[in-house]
Amino acid sequence: MTTTTPASVTRAAPQADGRPLGSTPTGGRPARRRGRSPNERNRPFWMLAPGGILMILVIVVPLILAIVISLLDLDQYTLRSWLQAPFIGLQNFIEALTRSTLLRSIGISVSFAAIAAVVTLPIGVAAAIATQNKFVGRGLVRSIFLIPYVLPAFVVGTVWRTMLQPGGVVDDALASFGIHTGLWLNGPQSFWALILVQIWSSWPFFYLLVLAGLQAVDHEVHEAAAIDGALWWTKLRYVIFPYLRGPIALAVIISFLHNINGFTLPFVLFGVPAPQDVDVLPVLTYITSF
Amino acid sequence: MKARHALVAVAGIAILGLALQGCSGGSTPTASGSSAAVDGKGKSIDVMVAANTLYPTQQKQWFQDVSDRFEKTTGATVKFETYASANDELTKIQTSVISGQGPDIYNLGTTFTPTANATGAFVTLTDADWDKLGGRDKFLPATLGISGPDKKHEVGIPFASRPFVMAYNTELLKAAGIDKPATTWDELTAQSKKLTSGDTYGMALAYADSFDPWKFIWAMSIQAGNPILDGKKARVDDPTTLKAYETYFNWLTKDKVVDRQAIGWKNAQAVAAFAAGKAAYLPMTTSTSKISLDSSVVAGKYAYALMPTVPPGEKSLPKGGKAASSILSGDNMVIAKYSKNQDLAFALMKQLTSASAQEEYNRLFGDLPTNASAAKKLEDGNEQLVPIIDSSSKSVGTPFSGAWGDTQLALVNVVVQSIPSLSNGSISESEIKSKLASAQSTVQASLDKAK
Repeated sequence: MTTTTPASVTRAAPQADGRPLGSTPTGGRPARRRGRSPNERNRPFWMLAPGGILMILVIVVPLILAIVISLLDLDQYTLRSWLQAPFIGLQNFIEALTRSTLLRSIGISVSFAAIAAVVTLPIGVAAAIATQNKFVGRGLVRSIFLIPYVLPAFVVGTVWRTMLQPGGVVDDALASFGIHTGLWLNGPQSFWALILVQIWSSWPFFYLLVLAGLQAVDHEVHEAAAIDGALWWTKLRYVIFPYLRGPIALAVIISFLHNINGFTLPFVLFGVPAPQDVDVLPVLTYITSF
Repeated sequence: MKARHALVAVAGIAILGLALQGCSGGSTPTASGSSAAVDGKGKSIDVMVAANTLYPTQQKQWFQDVSDRFEKTTGATVKFETYASANDELTKIQTSVISGQGPDIYNLGTTFTPTANATGAFVTLTDADWDKLGGRDKFLPATLGISGPDKKHEVGIPFASRPFVMAYNTELLKAAGIDKPATTWDELTAQSKKLTSGDTYGMALAYADSFDPWKFIWAMSIQAGNPILDGKKARVDDPTTLKAYETYFNWLTKDKVVDRQAIGWKNAQAVAAFAAGKAAYLPMTTSTSKISLDSSVVAGKYAYALMPTVPPGEKSLPKGGKAASSILSGDNMVIAKYSKNQDLAFALMKQLTSASAQEEYNRLFGDLPTNASAAKKLEDGNEQLVPIIDSSSKSVGTPFSGAWGDTQLALVNVVVQSIPSLSNGSISESEIKSKLASAQSTVQASLDKAK
C-alpha cells in the first residue's frame, strides 16, 4: 500500500548499481519494503474484519446501491421492482439539472446557510464574552440565552409564522414607527425572514461553543495579560481569540451544515409548496419525492 | 494483498447478493374465494387508519367496539394502527409491500387513493369480492367515483364521505336583503360585494393554505368542462383554468370581498374569521367545521349550502361541464394483496360498511355514511345535514391518476407564487399565464411518468 512511484524508482536504481537491496538510496529516504519493519510484521489484519464488514454493510453497499439506483428509471411506485427497472444512464441527473429548480435551490440553501452562520458568529462570541466575568445573576442570564436553542424548530417556526403574518405583531410594531414593510412569508423578503428566524434560534450554539473555549483559557493567562498592561481589545485580540480559533472554526462548520440540512424551520414557516425565494434544498427534495 | 482484495470482493458480492435477494423476495399471498362463513378463531387482522385528532378518545373506543363485534362473528380480533399523514402511510405501504407483511387493510383519503393505488399493492375487487362485501349496490353510487381508474379495476371500498359545502351567516344575508345563498360563482361574487362593509367581508378564504386553493380551481374548471387531467394530457393552461384563477384572485384584488390579510391565512384562520362573524360566506368547508362554529358567536346563525355549480362567467352549466359541488372527499378502505387473511379482511369490511355500523360512525365522528340506506335514514332525520348529503351525491371524483398529487401541488403553487403580486394589489393576466405555463409543463411531465 505504501509503494509509491518515487519509492519504486529509488528501489530500482540500487539494483542497477549492483548494490545490495535495502541500502540507503541516493534520494536520502530509506527504501522500505512492505512488511519489513519489525512492528509491521505479522500484524493480525483479520482482527479488522468485523469493523471492515460493518463498514462495507453500512457505508459501501448502500453507496453502491444508491449510485446504481440513481442510474435507473425509478420512482416511488416502482421502487419495489427496482431490479427490473430500465437503465437510463445519467438521464436522472440531466432531468434534475434542466427540468427542476435544483441549482436555484442549492444557491438559496448555500447563501442562506452561509449568511446565517456568519451573522450568528459575532453574536455568539459577544454573548459568551459578556457572560464570562462573574456578576450577580450570571447563571440566570446564561440559562436565558439558551432558550432559543432548546426550543424545538417546530415551535420556533409556528411562533414566528404567527408573528410575521400580514397584520401580525411584527407588522403592527413596525407600523407604529411608521415603517410599512410588505409580506414576510412570501416574496423576496421571505429569504431574509428565514435568515432572521434561523439566526434567532441558532446563535446560542456559537455562544455555547465559545463559552467552552473561554473556560479553557488558563487563569494565569488573564493575569499575565493584566500585568503586562494589555487593554481589553489588545487582550481580546492577541490573548483570548487565539484560544477560540478551534471552537469557532468547528462551530462555523457545524452551523453551516446544520443550516443547509434544516428542513423543519422553512417547512413550518412557509409551508409547501414553498415560495420560490425560500425553496431550499431539503424542501425541494421533500416536494419532489412525494 | 491480492488474496485479501479478493476476499473483500467476494464478501462484498455475497452481501450484495443477500441484500438483493431480500429485496426481491416475499411470499405470495394466499388468495381464496370461499364465501362460506369465515372462521378466524385465534387470528388477528391488522388495520391501518388515519389518527383522528379531533376525537382521539372516541376513536380508541371505536377500535375496541369494532374488534369485539368482529370477534363475536368470526372469532378473530382486529388490531388498529394509526398514521399521522399520507406520507407516513405511503412509506408504510411501500415497506410492507417489499417485506410482504404489514397491515391487511389500509384506510386511504379519497384523493390519495390513486397515488397509493399506483404502488400496485391492493386487491382489485371482482364481482365475487363485491358480493362478499354485501354487494356493490349498497353504496351511494357517487362515493364509488374514486375507487379505481375504471369500473373493472376498483380497489377502494367507500367507507366515509366528507363532501365540501359552504357555510353562510344567515343574519348577515338577511340584513343585506339576500333571501337565498348563491348557486353560481358570479352570483356569489355579486352577493359578496353586497355583504362587504367595514371590517365585515363577503367571504372568508385561505389563500396561504396548502390545500384549499386547488379545490376552487378544480371545481370551477370541471364545471366549465375541464377535468385538469384529460387522459394522458394535462390541461392546466386551459382558458377555463385561467378564468378560475382570475376569479379566485379578483375576489381579493378587484372585488375586494375578502379581508386583505387573507393572503396569509391558512384554512383554520378563515374558519375563525367566519366564526367571529366577520365574513358572510365560508366556502369550501366540511361538516367538521360544525364543531367550532357551534361553539362560536355565530352558533345558531349559520347554515350550510351547496357550493356554486355553475362556472364563472356563465348563467347555466355549459355543454360538457359537470355540476360538481365538491371533490369526492372522504375515506376508502383497501385490502393488501400480500395479506394472508383476505377472507377475514372482506368480512371486516362487510361489517364496517353495514348500515348500522355506518350510522354509528356518523354519530361518533360526523363523517357521512357511504352506505346508501344509512345515508337515506340520516337525511330524513336532520334538516341541517340535507345540503351536505346532497353535496355528497353531487361530488365528482378527481382524476384517478398517480400524477394527481403533483397536479394538486402545481395548482397550489400557482397561488403561492402569485401572493407577492396579490399583496401589491393586482396580478396581470400575462403573469398568471406564465405561471400556468410552467405548472402545465410540471404536470405534463408527471403525467408522462405516471404508470
